[in-house]
This record gives sequence, structure tokens and C-alpha cells, in this order.
Amino acid sequence: MIERSIIRLCKDLGCCDACCVRYLGLKNPSSYENVHQFVQKYLDKDTNSQSQTLGNEGHADPDPNLLKETSADRDNSPVDINTAQPNNGASESQTIDTKTEVDVGTSSIPPAKRMKMDDVCVTCLGILQEKTWPEAFAMVQDVLEKKRYECETIACALSSPIAAILRERAVSLHLEQACPGYEQKSLMPLKEAWKWLFGRKLADIVGKRLDSGAVAPLLVTLNVEYPDDGQELEVVRALAPALFESRSKQRRRFSVEFTRRSVEQALGGATAGAMAAAGWRAPPRPAARARPVSAAAWHAPLLLGGRYVKLSRALPQTPWLVAGRRMMHSSVQEIIFEPVAAAYGLSPEEGEQRLKLISAGREDVDVRCLGTGRPFALEIADPRRTPDAEELQRVCERISAERKVIVRTLMPITREDLTLLKQGEQTKCKTYEALCVKLGADGAPATVTPLDLANINAYRNTPEGDAARVRLLQRTPLRVLHRRPLHARRRALLALHARAVPRRPALFALRVRAEAGTYVKEWAHGELRRTRPALADALGARADILALDVADVDLPWPPNQ
Amino acid sequence: MEEEKYDILDSIPDLDNLKSFTDRYFSKRYIIDFNQIKNNDIMIMFHSNRIALLSLAPSHFFFKKQEEYKINFSAGKIDRLNNAVKGKSKKGGQYLVPNSVICKVEYADGTSFDIPCGMKGTLIEVNEELIEHPELLKDMPDADGFIAVILSSIAISEATKNELLTHEEYLEALKSCESSHVE
Ligand SMILES: [Zn+2]
Repeated sequence: MIERSIIRLCKDLGCCDACCVRYLGLKNPSSYENVHQFVQKYLDKDTNSQSQTLGNEGHADPDPNLLKETSADRDNSPVDINTAQPNNGASESQTIDTKTEVDVGTSSIPPAKRMKMDDVCVTCLGILQEKTWPEAFAMVQDVLEKKRYECETIACALSSPIAAILRERAVSLHLEQACPGYEQKSLMPLKEAWKWLFGRKLADIVGKRLDSGAVAPLLVTLNVEYPDDGQELEVVRALAPALFESRSKQRRRFSVEFTRRSVEQALGGATAGAMAAAGWRAPPRPAARARPVSAAAWHAPLLLGGRYVKLSRALPQTPWLVAGRRMMHSSVQEIIFEPVAAAYGLSPEEGEQRLKLISAGREDVDVRCLGTGRPFALEIADPRRTPDAEELQRVCERISAERKVIVRTLMPITREDLTLLKQGEQTKCKTYEALCVKLGADGAPATVTPLDLANINAYRNTPEGDAARVRLLQRTPLRVLHRRPLHARRRALLALHARAVPRRPALFALRVRAEAGTYVKEWAHGELRRTRPALADALGARADILALDVADVDLPWPPNQ
Repeated sequence: MEEEKYDILDSIPDLDNLKSFTDRYFSKRYIIDFNQIKNNDIMIMFHSNRIALLSLAPSHFFFKKQEEYKINFSAGKIDRLNNAVKGKSKKGGQYLVPNSVICKVEYADGTSFDIPCGMKGTLIEVNEELIEHPELLKDMPDADGFIAVILSSIAISEATKNELLTHEEYLEALKSCESSHVE
């Protein structure tokens, strides 16, 4: 029975029970529910059959060490970690915390039971052995306690030492030689087995449901390091000297010599013979166990869609900084961010880092955005909770409370929806309201006549039937020329209507519908003739602009409203 | 949420304090008697973003002479009409020092004078409208009659701004010139 010989061989080499099951090629999560029982079942049979044949063959296996190890594996005693780094004070205290905080149902087991180096699995370096887990649980709990996610499911991922790959390979090669019919590729990957073994227990401890990374938005990553990683990987160099020589020559491309990839590449063609020649007939007993060094938790980003109305003429869209100094004390972004951050369980400071405003264009500081407002999206990275529709409505009310910015609704959107927003910025028309003044030759305000208004309302520089009333050529405005290339762009006004302003003879109001990307202010004052034709050409006199509002942004948004 | 009605007409400013486009966005600085030439006075208008516009100061001797003239951007050592800038960094723009001549004003009587740029920087564009409409230089010197757009570094822009005469200092300097003339 091949399973039995695989388990025996693995045990002889010093594998833990979980790794035995991995080498059996069992990929079903339920196989990892009780690896000790599973392995013991085979070993018991083994012992029985050997007792029966004892005397006939003249040797008295089972190896007593082997059984001892299995029993060590089975008990769940918390680890008193005095292993690899005795001078690592931080870890020591962490261990003490572990004992007080992590209840893994071990209170009946006497403490201070030390994990002997003999007990560390030669393949997984202890990663799959329960007694190494409390330290990791404590690290994860610590992170989760700080971040306070409300999410009910959890996924976990392992960053494991590279030496584990080498060791896995060494065991596989050994099995291949010693056990005809063994197939290397059937090995259950360490990370997968870890998810089911460690992950299941972790989920219990933190009170969440374990799910796959594809489903659970909350991902916990545990980073495990092995102190002898670098030293052991020298074997890999011996296996593929040419590969590592060329890597070290291209230092700029490969700053790290041993990466997961390079090691896998080097081990790709390795044979048991080559391993033996490099000094690894079998993987040596680990000098220390692999230890968790850090844990991180990250919730997948969430997206919201909405529109903002901007009622202030002294409010930039984003913080306006000149040489690191802010020019205005607030911004649309800041007004929106704070209540949103709070609703997602983020502090204002976290909000600044975790929130991103994505909008379909922007208006100038002194331009209001009225009507239904400007479409925007918010990306919330690493949210701690997910507010419902009712809460989002309260967020809108908080944003709008000061009446500088008004957001009427916020709703969840998908990443695909963002494309609509970005395309909209480049293709959709906007309608503006502009307050303008007619100027005489001396530059002083001059009276607007009914004929002036009629001139504007009849003006076009395109043939009748052309969708555009006015086609214009705009040089990059001077106000943005320092950061944008100098171009002359063709733009179009699709509609243009002027009306008188009551009691203000020199003023007139314009409603302009312009193609995306048109600089309406520059068209209105002409920007020293850098935009041609300009409003002055329609009016037949000099003109300037006094105030501008965006009246409408022609984009259905949010998409599912 | 209660809806308020907003209208562009609620934004009417005080018409007594209307500022022109250049006065709104630029600060004016002056150099008088450039190269020790009497009333060879130029004005540079600085935007806060390092963009500067070159023009003639109102006290320039040009404004006293009544004679037909043309503006020639190809008169100096380098043809300013060949200037081209590429990309955000404005690569390829002609390098300017204070003495660099941007254009020549050529009178029908055969006389002419040079207009220097007065500062270090990169030439971004010249006002080609002046070729067809030379009258703009006289009629709207601090607006459509500007001569060139120059871009410099923050450091140069700030240093030059500090070095040159402000509008008040300029008026003061003109006054003292006149009084010394009388004596
Ligand atoms: Zn193991």
C-alpha cells in the first residue's frame, strides 16, 4: 500500500503529520481536519503488521522516535518559544501575550512545555504544526484589534520561507527514489494546506468565517521567516551555478539573489543525485523553526458613485498647494472625505490616505458647479465596515451641512462603472452660465444693446446645419501652460444664448453648451487673442467674463440610479 | 434636503473695481532705461505659475513717436518665429538672457529699435498677431499687444520679480527722472 510507505518515509525523514498528508497528495480540505488521526491510523496498521512479522525479518522497527514525534505533534500545548533568536526580546514578550490572549482550548495542558528542535518538521519548518501557531494568532489578533473590521468572513495568505521550497523538493526526490509510483506533482502546496489547517483555527479564534481569497474581501497575510533561509539556499546555488552567476552579474535587474522564482527555476531539473552531490541526501533537521514576523490585514477597496454641487467660489476641488503651502483652507475633496471616512470606520487621517476622489473633470476654484452636479466616484481602500443605504444618506447630509458642497446621493458602484466616468470626462458636453461685461475701446463697461444680444444669438462661424455653432482654436491657457504642453486645440460651442441682466446695462448673461475640454473662460475673455474666435467676435465689441457656473454635466451618473 | 435656487445673477461683482485680464492674474514689474537707453522701458507681467509676459512699459519712447511701423521677429541673431516647444517640459524653447532681442520695431522712416526680454528663461511663444496687427503694440500694450510668453524656474521667476521695479517704484522712478530733467 503506497500511502503507508509514503507516510513511513516522510516520518523517517522528520515530517509532521500534516506534511505526510500533503505528500499523499490529498487536496480535499476535509483531509486536513484531523491529520494526526489520519496519520496515526496508517502508523498503527504499520506497527501491527510489523509486530506480526517481528522476528521473521530480524529488525525491530518502529523507530521509537517516530512514535514520540507523532505524539508530540498531536498535543496542542502552547509553545514556549525559546528557539531560534534568544536575544529577540520583542518576540519573547509577544509569546507571553499569546498565552494570555489566545485561548486555543489548551488551559488544561501544563505550560512551559518546550518545543524541541527535534520536533520541527523538516519540510514545513513548523508552519503546519499547531504548537507554533499561538504566536501567529496573537499577531493577527493584534492587527485585527487595531483595525476593527466588521466583515464576517476572512481569507488568509501565507508568505513562507523560500527554504521550504528546497526542503519540499528534497523530500519529493527522496520519495520518488524510495517509493516507486510516487508522483511529485501530486503534492498539496504548503500554502493551501496552511489555509485549511491554520486558517480554520484562526477564523474560530477571531470569530469570523474562513473563505477563499476570491470571495472574502478581508485578507490576512502572515509573513513567516526562517533564520537559516540564506544559508540553506546555498545548496540551490550549487545545483544551478550558471543561473546564479548570471543573476549576480545582472545585479541591477536582480537585486535579490534567491527569489521564489529563481529557486524554483534552479530546482526544476534537480535530481536526487545532484541533491546528494550538493550535500543533501535528505533534508537536514532544521536548526530552528520558521517564525511569524509580521501579520497584515487588508480589506478590498469599495467604490461609491455620486455627484457634487459646489456652491462656493473660493473652494478648490482638491487641496490647493503652492510650494507646499495651502492656498485655501478647505476643498471639495476634504469636505466629502471626512464624513465618508467616518462611515467606513476610518479616522480623518486614515481617510486622507485611504480615500481617493475620482471625478469627471474639475472646475476652477472660483467656478461653481450647479444643477445636478459633477459626477464623481470615491474609492475607499481598506474599509473597516460597510455602511448601508440609510447610513450613506446620513453621510450625504453631513457633507452638505455647511452648504459649500452638496451631495444628494451616494451609492455603491463597480470598478467597470469607473470607465464611464473617465470616458464621460473626455466625451461629454457641459453647459455653462457666464456673467459677462461689454467693454468700450477704453476698457470701461459699455451699455449692452438689444442689437448686441441679437448679434450673439445669431452668431455662428460654421455652415448652417453644422452641429457646432462656433468652432474655435484654443492655445493651452497661460494659467496651465507651466504644466501642460503648448498646443492649439480645436473645440466647439454647440449652443450659445445671451440675455440681458436686469438693472445692469453693461452686463449680459450667457448660456453656453461646450464640447468636453473647452476652456470657456478663455473663450469669453479671448486670453490676449490666444483663443480665436472669442466672445468679442460674436458681440462685435470687447468683452470680459465676471463669473462662471457649470450648469450641467451631461453624463448619466451614478449608472444604476 | 431643501433646494435653493442658484443663479449666475447672484454673482454680480462691484463694477467700479473691474480689473483687466492681465491685472487679475499677473503682477507687473518694470525695467527703465534698459541698456542705458533713455526710456527703453519694458514691462514684464508675472503669473504665479512662472509664466511671464513681455511688453512695453507705458513710458517707453515708442509711445511718443507717430510713425508707421512693423514688427520683425526675425531681425535678431535668432529667428524667434522658429521657436518651438515640445511636451510639458517645453523642450527646445530658445534660451533667453536679459539682453536677448525678441523683436525689432522697424519704422517707415528706416529707423528701428530692439525689444530685449529683460530676464532669463525659455521662450514659449511670440505674439504673432503683432505681425498682422502691429497697432496692438501701441493700443493694448498690457493686453493683446504683449510681445512674448517666457517660462522660467520658480527661483528665477521669484528673484526677477524681487529685483525689478514694482508698479509703485516704477511711478516713483519716473517722477524723479522728470524732476531731474527739469533741473
Ligand atoms: Zn510539516
